[in-house]
Amino acid sequence: MTAGAATRGLPIEVRGLTKHFGTVVAVDDLSFIVEPGRVTGFLGPNGSGKTTTLRVLLGLVHATAGDATIGGRNYGEFERPSKVVGAVLEATSFHPARRARAHLRMAARAGGHDVQRVEEVLDLVGLRGDAKRKIGGFSMGMRQRLELATALLGDPDVLVLDEPSNGLDPQGIAWLRDFMRYLAGEGRTVLVSSHLLSEMAQTIDDAVIVSYGQLRAKGTLAEITAGMTGRVMRARTPEADRLSGVLTQAGVAFRRLGPDEVAMDGVQPEQVGPLLATNQIVLYELVEEGGDLESVFLSLTAGLGFGDPASTAGAPPGPQPQPGVRA
Amino acid sequence: MTNAIRAELIKMRTMPGVWVTLCLALPLTVLVIVGVLVAAGDSVPGHTFNHVHTLRQQRELLGAGYFGILVLAPIMGVLCVTGEYRHKTITTTFVLVPIRVRVLVAKVAATALWAILIGLVTLATVAAVALPWNAGLGGVTTQVTDQAGAVVPGLLASAVLLGLFGLGFGTLVKNQVAAILLTIGGSLILESLLVALARAIFHYDLNWLPNAAGAALAGDIARGFGGGGGRGGERLLQWWQGGLVMLAWGLVPLAIGYYTTFRRDVT
Repeated sequence: MTAGAATRGLPIEVRGLTKHFGTVVAVDDLSFIVEPGRVTGFLGPNGSGKTTTLRVLLGLVHATAGDATIGGRNYGEFERPSKVVGAVLEATSFHPARRARAHLRMAARAGGHDVQRVEEVLDLVGLRGDAKRKIGGFSMGMRQRLELATALLGDPDVLVLDEPSNGLDPQGIAWLRDFMRYLAGEGRTVLVSSHLLSEMAQTIDDAVIVSYGQLRAKGTLAEITAGMTGRVMRARTPEADRLSGVLTQAGVAFRRLGPDEVAMDGVQPEQVGPLLATNQIVLYELVEEGGDLESVFLSLTAGLGFGDPASTAGAPPGPQPQPGVRA
Repeated sequence: MTNAIRAELIKMRTMPGVWVTLCLALPLTVLVIVGVLVAAGDSVPGHTFNHVHTLRQQRELLGAGYFGILVLAPIMGVLCVTGEYRHKTITTTFVLVPIRVRVLVAKVAATALWAILIGLVTLATVAAVALPWNAGLGGVTTQVTDQAGAVVPGLLASAVLLGLFGLGFGTLVKNQVAAILLTIGGSLILESLLVALARAIFHYDLNWLPNAAGAALAGDIARGFGGGGGRGGERLLQWWQGGLVMLAWGLVPLAIGYYTTFRRDVT
């Protein structure tokens, strides 16, 4: 790899991307830009259109409308695309009887890369000692590493990784995190999809959050979390019914999380504390949640903070969080 | 394009099913060699085996691998493409070579080369087993090898086109077992039934189906396996007609498969 090549990456641009599978809308008018030299998390729950978007980007799925380009070109327009883009898609797409080195040699041939590169990437992902083993005997973590090695064969400027931490143990996740940061540090563009927020929060610079195929938020982590104005106060009390009545009277949106648990949306501790004290409600726990990536993610993708009518128990709509969408 | 072909060859080389298919060419060829030498012995009372002595027998002995090719070359073609879907490696393939027609052309080339390899294995088996055995029975080896010009080109051309036939149906069907059943069962069993029915009911020589077309291309060596002699002597196509028809049996399903399956979204 070329150390210190600070501007070697290419931007990924998704413009008005729409994909229908029959009557199912997998991606709905999605637009965002991924900048080089940064790790961008492509976040959303399962079935939110992340994989479909990445597959359109890689020419595996045809868009119904819009497009997804790398450096202004469609993936299929590159003469040697794996020289430009390395993709980690699914750790199951290997022939089980093929040996790791043979798989990489095949991929090197197909991509038009020097087969000497095979040994380099084996070292890079720590699989040199297992190169002669059949892939069928590999653990999920080893398959992920092999998939990453395949992606790195062309020493690409852009890395596209779809749920790369699936099946990795904590050591593997930590290794992957460092590796992605290292690649972005070299100026490469790194786009990584995931539905696991805790690990992504430690890795990514930017985030694109999608749900139901639509963009919910995008920007730097700081921008997105700053945009979360409606935080959640979670109270655990033996008087949850009485608390519900008090909150209804006070016009605070809330949800019952359990027989002794109530979540209050979009309120500050300074508002809730006096309310509870005035009404002499016994508390076991009062916790402020929100403001981190996971909370933003949940609020944007699971309806939390959007006043889910099924769970607000007749409460008037409270203040709603503003998604940090910056189109 | 060369890179894509080389990658396909590595894929084939690293699939156990391909080697099993190749190895099966040996026993199938030996089986036919036994049959040819037994048939030659029929004309000599008291002999189970005899050396080949007619021109046709000499060609049949040299081309004893045709039956193996008839069965195995289509399987080779099927494996080349259906293995990709079975193990989901098609995703990696299309990421590495996004121009899909290029992948398909590379698969045609790889299948052709492996089909030729099957043909060469059968010829090597003939050289190692049939020729010494025939000589031991009193036959003249050069009388058999002199038929190489008449036998080998048809044998290898059949191998390539039968491989393409398998590749075509593999692309169309995707499911490995279904594609093998369709190509092998279709050409060996269903075709025989259709040919018999067409002859019995319509007095029509159904000679443009895959097996008959392949037999026309292969010539004398195929007569025991679906060619004229094996089905009551119906008129086969000319060898070049057989070649063209066989080519169509490969290219038409390949083209349909390309448009209906190969170009589809990989989800």
